[in-house]
Amino acid sequence: MASSSASMGGKAVAGQGLFTRQSSGLVRELGIPAATGIALASVAVVNTFINFNAGLVLFNQADMTLPLLVGAGIWLVAMFAYKYLLEAIPRAGGEYVYLSRIVSPALGAMAGISICIAFTYILAANANFTASYTPFMLTALGAALNSSAISDAANNVTSQTAVAIISVVMLLVVAAVSFVPLRRLAQVILVLVGIQLLAFLVLGWILVTHSHQDFVNALASFSNHPNAYNDILGAAAKDQIPLGVSIGASLLAVPFMVLNYNGVLYAYYIGGELKRPGRTYLYASVISIALLVVVWTGVWLLMLNTVGLDFMQSQAKLGANDATAYGAITSLQSSAGGLGYGLVLSGDPISKILIGIAVPSAELAVDLAFVAVVARVMFALAFDRMLPIGLAKISERNAVPVNAIIVAVVAGIGFAILAAFVNLSNIVANLALFVALIIVAGGVAATALPYRRPDLIMKPGQTELPRMAGVPVPALWGAATTILASIVVVLIVTHPEVFGSFSVSSVGALVIVLLAGPVIYLIARQVRLSRSSIDLRLAMRELPPE
Amino acid sequence: MFGSRPKKRALRLFFATDVHGSDRCFRKFLAAASSYEADVLVLGGDIAGKGLVPIRSDNGTLSAKVRGEEVSVPRAEEDRLRAEINRMGFYSVVTDAQDIERMENDAPYLDDAFLHAIVEQIEGWCRLADERLAPNVRCIITPGNDDPKAIDPVLKSAPRIESPEGELCELGPVLMASCGDVTPTPWNTEREYSEEDLGRRLAAILDDAPPDRKVAVNFHCPPYGSGLDFAAELDPQLRPVIRGGRPSIVPVGSKAVRDVVKKYHPVVGLHGHIHESRGAQRIGQTMCLNPGSDYAADVLRGAIVDFAQDGSYIDFLFTTG
Repeated sequence: MASSSASMGGKAVAGQGLFTRQSSGLVRELGIPAATGIALASVAVVNTFINFNAGLVLFNQADMTLPLLVGAGIWLVAMFAYKYLLEAIPRAGGEYVYLSRIVSPALGAMAGISICIAFTYILAANANFTASYTPFMLTALGAALNSSAISDAANNVTSQTAVAIISVVMLLVVAAVSFVPLRRLAQVILVLVGIQLLAFLVLGWILVTHSHQDFVNALASFSNHPNAYNDILGAAAKDQIPLGVSIGASLLAVPFMVLNYNGVLYAYYIGGELKRPGRTYLYASVISIALLVVVWTGVWLLMLNTVGLDFMQSQAKLGANDATAYGAITSLQSSAGGLGYGLVLSGDPISKILIGIAVPSAELAVDLAFVAVVARVMFALAFDRMLPIGLAKISERNAVPVNAIIVAVVAGIGFAILAAFVNLSNIVANLALFVALIIVAGGVAATALPYRRPDLIMKPGQTELPRMAGVPVPALWGAATTILASIVVVLIVTHPEVFGSFSVSSVGALVIVLLAGPVIYLIARQVRLSRSSIDLRLAMRELPPE
Repeated sequence: MFGSRPKKRALRLFFATDVHGSDRCFRKFLAAASSYEADVLVLGGDIAGKGLVPIRSDNGTLSAKVRGEEVSVPRAEEDRLRAEINRMGFYSVVTDAQDIERMENDAPYLDDAFLHAIVEQIEGWCRLADERLAPNVRCIITPGNDDPKAIDPVLKSAPRIESPEGELCELGPVLMASCGDVTPTPWNTEREYSEEDLGRRLAAILDDAPPDRKVAVNFHCPPYGSGLDFAAELDPQLRPVIRGGRPSIVPVGSKAVRDVVKKYHPVVGLHGHIHESRGAQRIGQTMCLNPGSDYAADVLRGAIVDFAQDGSYIDFLFTTG
């Protein structure tokens, strides 16, 4: 039994310059590796091999070096803006919590609900993409294992039903893995990211150790077409496909590459589970951006050297716009981009297997990360009673929002089945615009932060925020993010032929998604006021710490 | 439009717990009165910090390890350094190498240093409450198992603070019974009692309540198996027990608290103790709440609870501020 003279059990903690006393409690938190895993997984590292090809289809005479570097620079600026937001409000929920606490609850609700809907669709789109990529994977595995059965199976998984089944199976796997504690999930994601990085290294090695002539010969051999390389160039010339480098086209590709990096900062969505949020987030984001710049730019430069820009531009455009002419020359899937070049050049089965499984690994990692993100945003909305409180239920065993995960995955499966059988491209045409608008929202929140809630970022003992030219530093980062993201938005809006056309269905879908949040907020608030004495807005008030 | 009108609010209470020495969380706690329009603030125990960081003074420079990293600042920035150290809820003391060595080797001396730091902070908090709170706002602070018993007289003697530990407290529409005692923990902290003893102590408080009055309980320990008491199972070396490759999570609340709640039917149960087990659970007619704690991230978790004029509970809302 305790007494007033009981010892406090004090002791020194070795090397920490700290004494502790006997007291209860354990803390479980996520560190830099876990946050880095979430960030890298959200990007789908290896997809860039494919996205390079997509970029060359979309932009005439584009070289991806400049967009890769400028895109990374824009995300670096945004990283600092989000760092201030996360330090001010170290919680799960991303733009929803930032906007609802700093700007207005209705605007926060707009961001929160729309992110839930759009990211759930992205979950499904990734699953569908994996399904449509399965033939390439089977081809690569068949070649690696010398199995015609596996190669032939590639032809049997191209139907809509097959795509739907593969998508659903993948999302069920994602659901099962998502129920483990976030720290363990991050470990799984890190393994998947590791597979992608390994694939990158292997491909990089293959590109380094083969000359341009090696590639020309290998393509001829792969295609059973002695002059495949030059014939593709010839067919492109015949189709008047413009080749070479244009600075204007490369600049126009910047928004494309900005979107390619999308997700690299997503560790802020799990801010409530990060140890020392600001520092952990900053380190994880810097590591992720630096890694992506080095790997992506490095491999792009290697491809320029070994494969050649003219060929890549010709293959991309020809494969997309004149599939018959392209198919008559080679069976190499043009949309596979760099992975296809690796497959052509690789001589050993291990490389082929790695190339084959790299994309499914990437999509699995992306979906795991997006389920974690969507579930945390739903949790934050439900915790504030914007969504049913049941969605804020946390599993005692694994400390994850179980109901939110179930809803995210079930909705994702619905989208995936729908997208397998119905062409949704008109409805979701403005997804790129939405993603860019979310970055604008983060920038606006960071700009407003030092003016509306300076108390939240004031360090202990500080009486004034650091300023440059009279403007609080966090506002500068926020304004810079807002301006850069707005430029991206303008480029997206003014180039609908590249980033998604505007139709009644696409604009209508975007408006509905954006307005859903404020409408839900107003309904939830009125329902609560009619039943309770506590206004919902109180949940969104941030307490001044000083 | 959306059903019958809610009962009119007669009392709004804001409850937070387990701030463990965090100045910022305590300041947020005081700010909650105006932000959430609360009539009564209740801080439900475990207010004392867990660590003490020695700051070495040398030739006008102060040096300390802050989160494991060596930091040196001019003496003029002492307040800033101490505030930074306190962001983990830790105390700090400006001292010299000889004194640090004594703390390392002389346990009673270290205990005294801790106690001095704890009492000094609580006295400061009481003054802060006096300065910042509006006259019509009541501020109730009761201890928890991690608080040395020496703080009880400090709290009781503070003019702006009420500390009805082990007593019933009149809140107007409702009475509140408070107790910071808990069942035994692996850390052998103060205020630990067997289930039987704890049950007797809680019943003794509630037996004094008039039968016609509604009661809310502010018991630091959550009810056993309520979902508000899940924590990692620990082995004798205080390491998490791993079963099936995962930490084993078990209920660690008190059966005595659960039985008392079932027997006396308080309208609301306010609990803490288990930081990671935030939640709300109805036990019989009682709405039991554990807002959890995230003090190390400067986050104050809390709960707004409204009562009607007849003492009945209207609604609650968890907050994160």
